[in-house]
Amino acid sequence: MRQTPSDTQSIDADVPSHLYAPAGQVVSADASSELSRRQFLEAAGFTISLAAIGGCGRAPVQHALPPPKLPVGMIPGQLRYYASTCAGCPASCGLLVGTRDGRPLKMEGLPEHPLSRGGLCAVGQALPIGLYDSQRLVSPLRAGQPAEWVVIDQEIAQSLAQFKGQQKMVRLVSSTVTSPTLQAGIDSFLKQFADGEHVVFDAVSCAAILDAHAATHSVRVLPHYRFERAATVVSFEADFLGTWISPVEFTAAWSTRRNPQPGMPEMSYHVQFESRMSLTGSNADRRYAIHPQEQGPLVGRLTELVAARVGAPLSARLAPAIDIDQERVLANLVERLWQTRGQSLVISDSQDTGVQRCVNYINHLLGNYDHTLELARYSRQRQGNDRDVEQLVEDLTSDRVGALLVTDVDLLHALANCDGMADAIDRIPVTISCAPRVDEFASHAKYVCPDHHALESWYDAEPIASLVSLGQPTLAPLGNTRSVLESLAAWSGQPTDVGAAIRLHWKSVVFPRRLAQATASFAEFWDNALRDGFVEVEPEPVNIREFASTSIRPLIHPAATNAFSLVLYANVGMPDARHAHNPWLQELPDPVTKITWGNCVSISSGDAERLGIQDGDVVSVSAGRDGPRLELPAFIQVGQHEGSLAIALAYGCKGTDRFAKIGPQWFQAEPTVPELGLVGVNAASFLEFRNGTLRYQRSGVTLAKTGTHRELAATQQHNSLELPADVAPFGAERREIVQFTTLAAFAKDVHAGAPEQHHASEPQLWPEDHSKTGHAWGMVIDLNKCTGCSACVIACQSENNVPVVGYDEVRRQREMHWLRIDRYYTTAFQDISVLHQPMMCQHCDNAPCETVCPVLATVHSSEGLNEQIYNRCVGTRYCANNCPFKVRRFNWFEYPRNDSLKNLVLNPEVTVRSRGVMEKCSMCVQRIEAARIVARTQGQPIADGAIQTACQQSCPANAIVFGDMNDPTSGIHAARENPRIFRVLEELNVRPSVSYLRVVRNRGEEALRG
Amino acid sequence: MQQRVLSIVLLIGVCFSLSLLVSAMSVWRVPDNQQGYAPQQPIAYSHRLHAGVLQIDCKFCHSAAVSSRYAGIPASDVCMKCHRFVTAPYDQMLQELQLADKEGRPPKTIISPELRKLYDSMALDDNLQPIPGRTPQSIPWVRVHNLPDYACFNHQAHVTAGVTCQQCHGPVETMDRMQQFSTLSMGWCVNCHRDATRDGVNGRAVQASTDCSVCHH
Amino acid sequence: MVEVRQQRKPKPSPVRVREAWENLRPTLITGDKQPADVTRDICAPLDRRPTALWWWAFLVAFTALVVGATAVTYQIAVGIGTWGLNRTVGWAFDITNFVFWVGIGHAGTLISAVLFLFRQKWRTSVNRSAEAMTLFAVVCAGLFPVIHMGRPWLAFWMAPYPNTRGPLWVNFKSPLLWDVFAISTYLLISAVFWYVGLIPDLATIRDRSQSVWRRRLAGIFSLGWNGSAKTWHRYETVYLLLAGLATPLVFSVHTIVSMDFATAVIPGWHTTIFPPYFVAGAIFSGLAMVLTLMIIARKVMRLEDYITVRHVEAMCKLMLSMGCIVGLAYGTEFFIAAYSGNSYEQFLFINRALGPFRWAYWTMVSCNVLIPQLLWLRAVRRNIILVFLISIVVNIGMWFERFVIIVTSLHRDFLPSSWASYQPTIIEVATLLGSFGLFFSCFLLFCRFIPVIAMAEVKGVLRAPHHPQEQDALQGDAA
Repeated sequence: MRQTPSDTQSIDADVPSHLYAPAGQVVSADASSELSRRQFLEAAGFTISLAAIGGCGRAPVQHALPPPKLPVGMIPGQLRYYASTCAGCPASCGLLVGTRDGRPLKMEGLPEHPLSRGGLCAVGQALPIGLYDSQRLVSPLRAGQPAEWVVIDQEIAQSLAQFKGQQKMVRLVSSTVTSPTLQAGIDSFLKQFADGEHVVFDAVSCAAILDAHAATHSVRVLPHYRFERAATVVSFEADFLGTWISPVEFTAAWSTRRNPQPGMPEMSYHVQFESRMSLTGSNADRRYAIHPQEQGPLVGRLTELVAARVGAPLSARLAPAIDIDQERVLANLVERLWQTRGQSLVISDSQDTGVQRCVNYINHLLGNYDHTLELARYSRQRQGNDRDVEQLVEDLTSDRVGALLVTDVDLLHALANCDGMADAIDRIPVTISCAPRVDEFASHAKYVCPDHHALESWYDAEPIASLVSLGQPTLAPLGNTRSVLESLAAWSGQPTDVGAAIRLHWKSVVFPRRLAQATASFAEFWDNALRDGFVEVEPEPVNIREFASTSIRPLIHPAATNAFSLVLYANVGMPDARHAHNPWLQELPDPVTKITWGNCVSISSGDAERLGIQDGDVVSVSAGRDGPRLELPAFIQVGQHEGSLAIALAYGCKGTDRFAKIGPQWFQAEPTVPELGLVGVNAASFLEFRNGTLRYQRSGVTLAKTGTHRELAATQQHNSLELPADVAPFGAERREIVQFTTLAAFAKDVHAGAPEQHHASEPQLWPEDHSKTGHAWGMVIDLNKCTGCSACVIACQSENNVPVVGYDEVRRQREMHWLRIDRYYTTAFQDISVLHQPMMCQHCDNAPCETVCPVLATVHSSEGLNEQIYNRCVGTRYCANNCPFKVRRFNWFEYPRNDSLKNLVLNPEVTVRSRGVMEKCSMCVQRIEAARIVARTQGQPIADGAIQTACQQSCPANAIVFGDMNDPTSGIHAARENPRIFRVLEELNVRPSVSYLRVVRNRGEEALRG
Repeated sequence: MQQRVLSIVLLIGVCFSLSLLVSAMSVWRVPDNQQGYAPQQPIAYSHRLHAGVLQIDCKFCHSAAVSSRYAGIPASDVCMKCHRFVTAPYDQMLQELQLADKEGRPPKTIISPELRKLYDSMALDDNLQPIPGRTPQSIPWVRVHNLPDYACFNHQAHVTAGVTCQQCHGPVETMDRMQQFSTLSMGWCVNCHRDATRDGVNGRAVQASTDCSVCHH
Repeated sequence: MVEVRQQRKPKPSPVRVREAWENLRPTLITGDKQPADVTRDICAPLDRRPTALWWWAFLVAFTALVVGATAVTYQIAVGIGTWGLNRTVGWAFDITNFVFWVGIGHAGTLISAVLFLFRQKWRTSVNRSAEAMTLFAVVCAGLFPVIHMGRPWLAFWMAPYPNTRGPLWVNFKSPLLWDVFAISTYLLISAVFWYVGLIPDLATIRDRSQSVWRRRLAGIFSLGWNGSAKTWHRYETVYLLLAGLATPLVFSVHTIVSMDFATAVIPGWHTTIFPPYFVAGAIFSGLAMVLTLMIIARKVMRLEDYITVRHVEAMCKLMLSMGCIVGLAYGTEFFIAAYSGNSYEQFLFINRALGPFRWAYWTMVSCNVLIPQLLWLRAVRRNIILVFLISIVVNIGMWFERFVIIVTSLHRDFLPSSWASYQPTIIEVATLLGSFGLFFSCFLLFCRFIPVIAMAEVKGVLRAPHHPQEQDALQGDAA
């Protein structure tokens, strides 16, 4: 159930936040982690029966510890949802925090949220495990030693006081701050100093886009991209479905236009120019592999062509000529863009302001502004200013800074390219870090003042200038931490409470901006905001000037070298270093490479052949003789452009050696991190400042084999739908596992792409042994919407207590994810194309696993589910062998569950599996049962949509439909009428309950190759 | 003759040992069957008194049973609803009252030793005023009904279906110390589900599924 | 003089008579043994202190057993993860060993029961040890289904017994359950069969043994055998009945084992040819193992006179024929795959022969089909050393056959995304070693304490020395 205003009445007084953590309610302002951990178990006392059960005679005595006073409205064991805002990244998606017995357990998307539309990415799903992390700081540190807040505050206040007059710089570095209250707090904090400035530094920055708009529209803002309005999307390297700015929002928007109907075969046309294979590129209708240095010329040429097409030809050439094929490609593209002018969108992730200006010009010429890009309601999701950062680095190294406060970003890790930073920081009189763990900067900082975890604290956010959202605490702080806002207030001498501060700020700043039709009472306004999690308000006016065409100048084009050029990118599962301590994300297979536990350097097959490099060969990547150099395993990436390399950032973070023993320990187990190493390596050393922006692209990089080898822990070994040539039978070189077709073919025949012979219904071996009356749960997954973003994988992991097994087990092909996403390359088209297919238990009607289990541990339910009964399983693995989809997961070991704090993340509704039993997707049967009980209590049938599986709920693309196939009014019933429907391995006649919708790529060809 | 005596003796012996065997069998039970488990509780709370004599409805204290998986062992402040006033057995309090107005003095609060424990856990002094500097602590009740964590029993579902508390927990209103009445074995659950689907629960038709995943997930 | 000499009636050459006689009634036991000799020779090893050779053999076998036991203990303590299996290849060494050992068992029953029914007299010198071998092999086999479980301590759930779960029964649809019944029945029957055959000899031991204890023990187990015509008659009847009972098991057991795979949906397993194919394979491997053991035994126990070259030769012929049947099965599989038009099936077999595990496949083919062809040559069949080597090769080949069937079918099945490879860990290898250790330890102990040859039966096939023709043939010799 969701919070209603009546519930929140109690939250309407100006009392300190921790006194009304809506659940859990065990409050102690000065509780050490140990203490609050015990209190936690009290609050959760009803669910602490994870002790080993069994053995003869009396079971061990178990105590039930009801809290002395039950919190208002809290019912033991009942799941309650609180609307909130995700703090995983500045995108600030809508969040529903599911709490049980005072423990936030399950993060879900907020369906009503205008941006994320009920979606939530893997990072957001993985928030809880960060909360219950026993290695989080539980008290502030002073010179590395735990200290009292009062002591620290005193010292800091004193030492800061000296800078009020004196001309020493005070710098507060943070990543993008979307919270208006915190922004206000920072400003007022810095105001008191003679030279206080706020430096916004995004580890993965979009500064060039902001700077470009400063030049072309004279407002330094990030436009709000509206992919749902874009009929044509042209992206240069921008991974907007994966990591770029606000991926969940963009995926949700993009997928609304990927739904061709029999009546109207229309969908958006998406072209991707990129050097590495990004998640976005893998979903594009056409993907052109380009050399990283070709981006400038291509954008320049496109600008020229568009200008010419529009009839405002440019005087001078913007870029050198490009080769003839690309010329042809662009020519067609321009035509399409012109056809769809006003609803087309050209984007680029280039950090070259010139390129971004051209991009702006293209969008301007095509009249896309105010349609597919909005400046009036601009985005505040990236505010980083690399000029400031560059300046800051200079100030630091030349000892001009007196006090340095860093929050939300690990300065030293993210700026590994700047030499002498560490020493410079050590020389600064006052250095304060607000990191929740001792990261690289914190280890050099005098004071570490740990911030709350997002789920412990009040916060707000304004991702789009007109949408303000609230984050509310769902439990009392586990440790003796303090929100940044409170710290700043304390140091500037007017201590406040974050909840009160936000309320105050909203009253004075946000409330006045309310929409005309909004309520007049602030209390009501606040309650609504708290219940809904967000509120829409009038945007602050920005004065956008007429487009300054003068800003379009020829692009500086670097001289081409025959050395490699390296692209540094953010990983979908690990967008920034703050999540490095999250084992779920570390073990999340990358949507494209399928590699877990660390980063690697992607290299094209051609180059690999030339240099004799195999997957996993450790290579040394270096730029120049005295330039940066690092060693990491190589990975041959399909679709990687020759001469280009790609390495993911945000790895090699301090403290990740904690994961060395995360997997099962036995005498042949390999540690998850290499000896004395960290998870992955930090590639930030290859960053460089050029023309006022931080560049994620480095040319003149050389590659050399080191002779050593570290096997990559990838979850997929064979990557293409085509069988290996040496063993493929004639005429069956490709398997029809994922069916796909082109829009042209689909327009002709809605069944296009289906294999020749149709296996409608084959005779049954034995008569129907399970009834078809009552419910029949089933699922339909629209592969045309699914981007493979892997949010569902983590959603499933967190809902179903799926263990983390570590590098060695993944390497041995023993990952435990119930839901995996198969990624296939196929050469059916002229170019490489990529297909993603979520694969989980298919709940077959004729399940091969069921007949072979000797002890009836896996059986068919009366509602069409294939049930796995862990406590009956003896572990013969026969069912897994006999499963055509290989979706069954076996507990090879007793996976470590000895961290009592981390165990609080476990979902009490789902059994924790012991060693030696089989497990698999249950279609979230616990949710089905819960919904059934609720429905029966209300005396009504289970409504369609009342049950949402974890994967379905979190899917940003809304690609998954779950429901009762026997209910003719249900959504899934309609979905199964879709002509694109197919079932995997139909010919086996196992009759899966899970169906898929065929992929349709917006392309001209009507027939596929091969 | 001798033969006959011998055989008679043998016969008696056999009967004797058989009877021994049978009696031994009667106390033997399958491992993990906790039936009859009645642990000592930190406070000698009597269901017989409260549910039996005083006729307090089960769901008054175990209120979560109607709306949650757990019946919920009541928080101490639920006890305080009554025991803020009832601090000792009724007759003792009555005596004190009579004594008090015979002697014309305000009655002092008599606190029975068991309730004393409750007040201690709530950090209350003899006049039931909060003791400064002490936070209320939980009472470490001993769980009587322990299901293995792979079996999910949901009270709400059963209460909604009209199953009475006694059908599983037995004549609680007669128990001074709570004890496990049923075997709580899987067979016990399944048979009840089968019967319920066939005959209904207390006259109401119900759909008590016997799918494994109803309890095991 | 000369004429006289010419008039003399020519006498048939004794040599020729003996040859004629040989062809008429072959000598199974050489060295003109008398029943007393038989008893003496065969009981000798029991009375003698064991030879150094025996000690060494036992030491090796027992060490292997200990190694295996350690490995299994570790695996049960830590988890199946200590094996090289993964989410795709859920069975490998474990079930391979299981099927291998069950197969070994078969020849024992074949020789003792089937050949008995077919009145094959030559079996008498080998059947005892063959039966023992069966017993021990089945014990080894039975081990693996238990230890391959994730939770072996719950193995008893495989048995349908009344319980408090509702009650909850076992899944009679599951071939794995059929195995449980098949194997246990097989073990029971072969144990009884072996023991019944043992009774007369136990009586012999009882009667001639010096040591009190052995006499007592033998006395108990020989069930008061008194060699009377009645006893013999009963004995013969029981033995015949048991033989009749055991015969179908030769075929049923491995048929059922093969159904573990045949009833599955995985290409390479899902084949109707498996039952006959497996039975043939089982007998093939069994014979090979019998040969291996017999050849060792006759050397170690000095029983050359009882286990003669012609025994070996007979076994070789059987083995050759079985080898050819197995070869035919391999061929048929490929043909069916090609003929079926099932692309998954086709891919599987191409992948078997040319894929990552081709080495295993070609080892199997050469060991089971190509090399045994040498046995067409009489010279090879009569060359003990060569036969010994070939028998070893066939054993290896048959182990690989099961490995190929299980692993190559699993590692690349339907969805390319979940293809994986397989590599055994040291624990698995040690476990395999241990099963051999167990087997040979048992066998050596058997050789030490129980007559390896059925004396009673051998005496039955001795050449009666007082046969008239032979008498005068011998006189002719003398003259």
